[in-house]
Amino acid sequence: MIPAVQHWLADSRAKLRQGDLSESDLQQLETLLAEPVAEPRQMILYLYSKSTNMCSAIASWALFDPSQREAQADQLVASDTFSMAPTLPSQDVPYASLMDAVSAGWRVVQFPREELHPFSDTDNSYLGFGFILEKWTTGGGIR
Amino acid sequence: MNVVQPSMDDTQVMAFVSSGYVIAAGVVPDELNRQCEALPRGGMGDFVQTAEFRRGVLLNPAVAGVVRSLLGENFMVPTMAHHHLYEGPHAGQTSHFDGLTESGYGVTHLQCYYYPQAVEIDDGPTMVLPGSQYRLVDREAIAHYRDILGQLSLTVPAGTVVLTRYGIWHKAGPKFNPRRRGMIKFSYYRTQSPSRDWPGASAEIPSYRQPQRHPYVTEVEAYRDQRRCTRTWQWLCGLDETATVDHGERECSAIPLNDLELV
Repeated sequence: MIPAVQHWLADSRAKLRQGDLSESDLQQLETLLAEPVAEPRQMILYLYSKSTNMCSAIASWALFDPSQREAQADQLVASDTFSMAPTLPSQDVPYASLMDAVSAGWRVVQFPREELHPFSDTDNSYLGFGFILEKWTTGGGIR
Repeated sequence: MNVVQPSMDDTQVMAFVSSGYVIAAGVVPDELNRQCEALPRGGMGDFVQTAEFRRGVLLNPAVAGVVRSLLGENFMVPTMAHHHLYEGPHAGQTSHFDGLTESGYGVTHLQCYYYPQAVEIDDGPTMVLPGSQYRLVDREAIAHYRDILGQLSLTVPAGTVVLTRYGIWHKAGPKFNPRRRGMIKFSYYRTQSPSRDWPGASAEIPSYRQPQRHPYVTEVEAYRDQRRCTRTWQWLCGLDETATVDHGERECSAIPLNDLELV
């Protein structure tokens, strides 16, 4: 719900209890509802878990956040690989596990399927077990 | 015959087998650093084959001693190099390795990064993933990887040469300023069969000891790393004759050490 409408409802309930709700309050609501609303955007988070178990530790992570790209548009260099402004590399895992990310509101949209996981009993290849998560938000950032 | 003395011992060679890199920090003379720092981006042409560059960089004892340890006698000395130069801020490259995978157990190709200027964290340092040199992947399929536990930003003093096993995952890190950040890349190749002829504490070849477990690996990957590194160690000691894989790039970009007329 739009935050301004939430505030209006809280105020109006109080006014209703006191018998103060008026036509002008309804006009104010109409104005609020007519205002353009920011469309939520899809943020994508890759988390590489050390096993298919969603409680396993995380080995790698990558956030693709469209709001970051828009906010930084004036700093971009035309040749940027990602058309993104630079951000420092990190060694701070954003979530200890998939379960922690899900608890924070991320929704899993792709699970690793063991039969598709590249397997050799002798050689390593791609990183761990990749889960792809999404969050729809008008804000941004990993948390 | 041009003689270069090996400079690594068993422990250092084992560390390289595990991590895939050796850092020779601040070893190139300042005067040559300043000259190289001013070079334009792109291929370096004949400058690579000047006596000054060979003496100061390619055959610098701190660099060539590592090459001699890992590639044996009469290794191929680079005749080509490329100056990767960044100036404006940028988001950084994606993780990759160059060219085709050299997937064998051996060490036949050392790819080197020389930094003529100091590199700080906001200068867009090269980043490497220790231990990734043995992973067999399609490099375009790892382009979405970003932060990985154990990744290393090569923040180094001026005149540093980083020697890597070809195939290590690397990328130019994010850059926040307009300072020039150059990196001159070149490669050495093996010509001789491997043998443990670096300075050793004992005549008996020690068993491989894994010096570290990389923080991003899974349980079973750690076992595979141990096995793979053991075979690479044995290969370097001349105990494992498993054929290794390279792609013949040496033919056009390097010359045997003994064919050089050093002045």
